[in-house]
Amino acid sequence: MSGQSWLGRKGAELRSWMRAVRYRSRVEREMDSELEFHLEALTADLIRAGQTPQEAARKARVALGASLTHKEEMRASLGLRWVDELGADLRYAVRILRKSPGFTAIAAGSLALAIGANTAIFSVAKVLLYDHLQIPHPDELKMLRWIGDDKVVAHNSWGDFDNLADGTQTSSVFAYPVYHEMSLHPAGMESLAGFKEDGMNATVRGAARRVTVAEVTGNYYETLGVRPQIGRAVQPSDDATKGSGNVAVISDALWSKEFGRSPDALGQTITLNQAKLTIVGVNPPRFTGAKNVLESPDLFVPISLEPLLTVQREKGSDLVNPDFWWLNVVGRVKPGVPESEALQGLRVQFEAAVRALSTVKSGDTIPRLQLADGSRGLHWADRMFKKPMFVLLGLTGLVLLLACANIANLLLARGAQRQREMSVRMALGAGRVRVVRQLLTESLLLATLGGCGGLLLGYFCRNALPSLLTNAWDDASLRVSFDWTVFACTTVIILTTGVLFGLAPAWFAARTEVSSSLKEAAQTTTRRRRGMSGKALVGLQVALSTMLVVGAGLFLRTLTALNSQDVGFNTEHLVLFDINPPAARYPRGKDVALHAELEKRIGSLPGVQHATPAATAYLGDSMSNSDFLPDGEKFVEGKHTAEDINVVGNDFFPTLGIRMLSGRGFNSQDTATSPKVAVINEALAKKRFPGVNPIGRMFRDDRDEKADLIRIVGICADTYYYTLREGPPAQFFLPYVQQKEVHGMTYELRTAMSTASLVPVLRSTVQGIDRDLPVTNLRTQREQIDATLQIERALAALTSGFGVLALALACVGIYGIMAYSVAQRTNEIGIRLALGAQPGQVRKMILRESTWLTLAGIAVGVGGALACTRLVQSMLYGVKPNDPTTIVAGIAVLMTVALAATWIPARRAAAVQPMDALRHE
Amino acid sequence: MVVKSEDKQTELMQGTLDLLILKAVSLGPLHGYGVLLRIQQISGEELLIQQGSLYPALYRLEHQGVIASEWGDSENNRRAKYYRLTTAGRKRLEAETEKWNRMAGIIAGILRTTPESL
Repeated sequence: MSGQSWLGRKGAELRSWMRAVRYRSRVEREMDSELEFHLEALTADLIRAGQTPQEAARKARVALGASLTHKEEMRASLGLRWVDELGADLRYAVRILRKSPGFTAIAAGSLALAIGANTAIFSVAKVLLYDHLQIPHPDELKMLRWIGDDKVVAHNSWGDFDNLADGTQTSSVFAYPVYHEMSLHPAGMESLAGFKEDGMNATVRGAARRVTVAEVTGNYYETLGVRPQIGRAVQPSDDATKGSGNVAVISDALWSKEFGRSPDALGQTITLNQAKLTIVGVNPPRFTGAKNVLESPDLFVPISLEPLLTVQREKGSDLVNPDFWWLNVVGRVKPGVPESEALQGLRVQFEAAVRALSTVKSGDTIPRLQLADGSRGLHWADRMFKKPMFVLLGLTGLVLLLACANIANLLLARGAQRQREMSVRMALGAGRVRVVRQLLTESLLLATLGGCGGLLLGYFCRNALPSLLTNAWDDASLRVSFDWTVFACTTVIILTTGVLFGLAPAWFAARTEVSSSLKEAAQTTTRRRRGMSGKALVGLQVALSTMLVVGAGLFLRTLTALNSQDVGFNTEHLVLFDINPPAARYPRGKDVALHAELEKRIGSLPGVQHATPAATAYLGDSMSNSDFLPDGEKFVEGKHTAEDINVVGNDFFPTLGIRMLSGRGFNSQDTATSPKVAVINEALAKKRFPGVNPIGRMFRDDRDEKADLIRIVGICADTYYYTLREGPPAQFFLPYVQQKEVHGMTYELRTAMSTASLVPVLRSTVQGIDRDLPVTNLRTQREQIDATLQIERALAALTSGFGVLALALACVGIYGIMAYSVAQRTNEIGIRLALGAQPGQVRKMILRESTWLTLAGIAVGVGGALACTRLVQSMLYGVKPNDPTTIVAGIAVLMTVALAATWIPARRAAAVQPMDALRHE
Repeated sequence: MVVKSEDKQTELMQGTLDLLILKAVSLGPLHGYGVLLRIQQISGEELLIQQGSLYPALYRLEHQGVIASEWGDSENNRRAKYYRLTTAGRKRLEAETEKWNRMAGIIAGILRTTPESL
């Protein structure tokens, strides 16, 4: 209408509506008195015109009409109608749900489980896969990477390294001098900041501990745009010259744990790998550094301290070595500069810097620079968790679908019972839309009930999944926050499910023909056509359950296959811990002496049967290898001569329970000054000495021909090395006392004592030698293996859990549909029995019906499972995606469950008394 | 009030009640019964108004913000709800009046047409 803007009118309507809803009772009173006034005034006028009072009152009432109708229309004028109808719908829905508490509990409960699982998994997936760094404008942050062929100039590097399918390799680490040169003229970038995260030993408030340290360039904080919550950041003046700026900024977590959030922390001193640093600032609470979004390093220190903190390599400090690639680099593109232009400029800079500074031999290639998205740091979590998380999200989605199908099925069965109610409603003039709305209100209320339960469940379980994914001995775990995105996601899930399972029953109800249903009454002698949709839903449930059960079976078999692997050594009663002597304090030679002293003291502790240090602990995803050149064999460029190596103590073989097959193990006569010896395993003997006895043979572990020859003195049995997924590799062992340097080692103890009771003893023993040396990562060998199987175990546990849930839902579904079918066919069954059918035949008839249904569902489910499990092939071990045993077992489980679920309805059908059944009508 | 017998009155044309109400209250605040009386008065008792449809229309117009209401005392000292025109209502009335006049003119012109004038 003209004269009033559309917006003005809508605004007025909204204000009027809100007022009417808020002061509802007043509005009602006003309507009454207004109509009353009208009636009185009219009556008075009619009396004045000469009518008798009675006649006047009657005529006035006739003239005005039914005030009830007027009031209803007045309410409609105020937009109150749908509020009233919604209220009525809701009240009715609550009454209906309360009338069948069993149905409500099953429906809301199964929905709560499914939504809870979805919420929990989604909240974890969000952190692992989608959360951004806690810095201003994280999406503007770029991470520098390079991509090159197999002859790339970065021969010597420390950091992430990926071999791509096409033979190229990509990495995000750079040599410091190259970075430095580029950062002076960062082309189209605002600035370039470098950082490296590493583990170090720190003494904080008198206690030695292992910490994660981020060494950062002076412009790091400025580039990220982060300011400490108290104190100051690492600033450019801190890394102006090498060794300058003995300062550290600590993480919020360290601040609360060690300093109780006291501002006095500023100015206190921390010893870090023997360097004394002053705390100058505390990072904001959710800041995790630029590397990842999950955990923050404990300390941020200027990179100029690097020479003080880390092992000095042959070519001097890593800050001057142009051939050692190790630094991560981030930056932001200048505003207004297109990213491609900035990248072009940087590429020129990078190539020039590499050519000018690094040693580029002939044949070496210079990699191509790339600007990657830095909003989530290095994205390592993506690579590790993407697949498992998507599998889990898919599984929970399946479970949710299953729960929906289940409720839809229950509602459909109930809808049949309520058909008369719907017919009566429609006969009385309710529109189809109104009936659909009523039923959708009911399902949405049910969904909301389940959703609230699910939200609570998800909230309390959100940390259950991360605890499945972190190892037993680390207290650092990722924090899963429960924020509005999770809440919004759950709400969407609730609404979708409510509509999803409510729509089919509502659709059927609305299609009801008023007359037919009223006439038809409840008499049916044969199976009804509408049973088909319910059966299809149960079939779908069976199919989805089959997929989940087969999936669970595959992951369980993978876990069992990995766990029951004979790894070649005794993994029970084996305790491990790490000692990492800082290189600044324990230079070459001194570290060997330290380990010798530690080995002696720890080996003589009461309750410890054997103890040995080893450079590499087995089955912990770490490995090292070295050249293995039998005497007379020359090193040839390009020929693979490296073999897996472990540098160990004298007691290594007895400690781990590795059998010696021939010759001898190491003993106390093998010292730094005695002739060099080695033990090889059977696999290496077969591989490198086929047909000859290797004992007494000599070899070198270095390409340098002047290196000492080492004599093989023994052959031991094969053991697994770094992962359960690969069989025993060829290996050789050297005594650490005959090495020039060993740095950190893992101690392995054969003992019946628990890790908890060992902690104080070990700590006092180690600190009796060096007060600043922490005992770290104390764990058992089993825990170590379990840690490498976290994802497998989490998948197996969750798929099994979901599988059981799915079975329970399918069980309810089958029971529901069969019980309904029996109830519907009571009449038919009665006639059959009256005509001479045996109860056993009736039972068989019902069982046969459910068996066909189950078989059809299983057939579809197996097809689906075969299609889906192929996607997770790489996550399986020792079992094929189409493993017949698993599939047959899955089918057997489902058949059993289906039979069990049908048993009660079938028995009930067989027990029908013909007379009762016929009289029943 | 003088009540003419109903068969002599003209039925109101669809959609004109709103316009009549606006006009009635534009002459001064009125309660619902007063609106009815005024319309009958100015129409010379020629129009038949369904009394029941009056109140939903009043509520609808108030809901749209073109009239506003206030409780006050009536001539015979009873509390009554008085309606008056708002600024938005005045604009609406002007626009609707103009539209009506134009429409009436066009219709009248069409109905006046004779074979000769074509």
